[in-house]
Amino acid sequence: MRTGSIKTMDYESDEQHLATPTDEKVQQWITCLEQVAARQDIKAFAALFEHFSPMIKSFAYKVPALEQADSFADELLQETMLKVWTKAASFDPKLASPSTWIFTIARNMRIDLLRKQARHVVNNVPLYKDGDDDEIDLEDIWFEDENSDLFNHLAQQRSRKQIHDSLLTLPAEQTEVLAKVYLEDKSHAEVAAELKLPLGTVKSRVRLALNKLKLVVDR
Amino acid sequence: MKNIIPMVKYHPDARFLTDYAAGSLPASQALCVATHLHYCALCRQKNRELTELGAELFMQLQPAEVDHSEFERLVARIAVVPVNQPAKTRQAQVVSILPTAINKLANGNLEQLEWRRIGNNLRVANLNLGDQQRETSLLSIKAGGHVPHHRHKGDEITVILKGSFSDHEDKYSTGDFIVRTRGETHRPVASQDQDCLCLSTLDAPIVMSNWLLRIGLYLYNLAAAPQRRQA
Repeated sequence: MRTGSIKTMDYESDEQHLATPTDEKVQQWITCLEQVAARQDIKAFAALFEHFSPMIKSFAYKVPALEQADSFADELLQETMLKVWTKAASFDPKLASPSTWIFTIARNMRIDLLRKQARHVVNNVPLYKDGDDDEIDLEDIWFEDENSDLFNHLAQQRSRKQIHDSLLTLPAEQTEVLAKVYLEDKSHAEVAAELKLPLGTVKSRVRLALNKLKLVVDR
Repeated sequence: MKNIIPMVKYHPDARFLTDYAAGSLPASQALCVATHLHYCALCRQKNRELTELGAELFMQLQPAEVDHSEFERLVARIAVVPVNQPAKTRQAQVVSILPTAINKLANGNLEQLEWRRIGNNLRVANLNLGDQQRETSLLSIKAGGHVPHHRHKGDEITVILKGSFSDHEDKYSTGDFIVRTRGETHRPVASQDQDCLCLSTLDAPIVMSNWLLRIGLYLYNLAAAPQRRQA
């Protein structure tokens, strides 16, 4: 009996640890996406739009030295939310949280739009293989993860919370580099050039940050 | 996408994985990372976490102002756009040895690519990813064959798709992600049991150490250049 109650307590404290206000919100967005998928619910879609569209636009404005930034931001918002609408049925809360799923769509769409822009600049040089038939989709390179086999949902939730909480505790120089890499469409090499730092310093700042976030990537 | 190859030993480092998750890696290098992910469950998990980190940073952005008319415009568009149906009964996925992107680039048939021969043991087919600064290709090394001795002028990433090869440092097999930096010289040898197929992307063309081959390549390129310009 006693062992049983101890187990329950452990379980409860574990739940408590995970139950943050953010989780309720997460559940809310999951429900919205499911409603959009099941019956093309405009109201649910409006709620998603209201919550995520300011971030999507802001994400567009982060691209440095953009010409016609406003129309780029509009386009990114439209195209991303259109994908959210059409692809809602393929959203699987076991594989990603709503914000991760939408971020992934916005990220891929931004890469796509930036390439289309570049294509106009470089005299219509085809970016993929010649001829439309051979063209590969961006989404085959930046594919959505469909592997649920080794997927641990609880671990995923933990890491999300871990990331959320410890992001706030990072030193400014590490957050700066992470933000540039993730939001400003700059590779490590480009961040190094911009901050006039050796590539090694940028790499090690990212690595320190990932260590702090318990996302130790290197073995 | 369910093939688990247990022996993946060489993985992309934090820099490649974060740039990939962030979407800032050039397409040719991203293709190499994606190819590795196809074979490596461990890095797929890391990629999930790094993507979550991106989403977290994304959600912490200073919200931009959105006009109500933008939602109205969207509603007008969604009224006419077809919605993807859920793939509830996912067709028994053909377990492909090769990643989707590679299959698509080859139109499902590797032999259909334009292969050119370099020496007796090596065949190369260029892939066009629209990356002007890098050359991306598939390499097929004959079982037991040596790749001509070469030196790197820029960084090179190689991912093994089939078979294995070794050089003076180690033996590499399917899924391994191998980075060679500028100035390194190496001479890979495919293992005896089967041909070795690799994906490789180069920051700058490599230099063949053998002068005869170099002249051969020069002449080849000279002959091929006008055709390529036409294509």
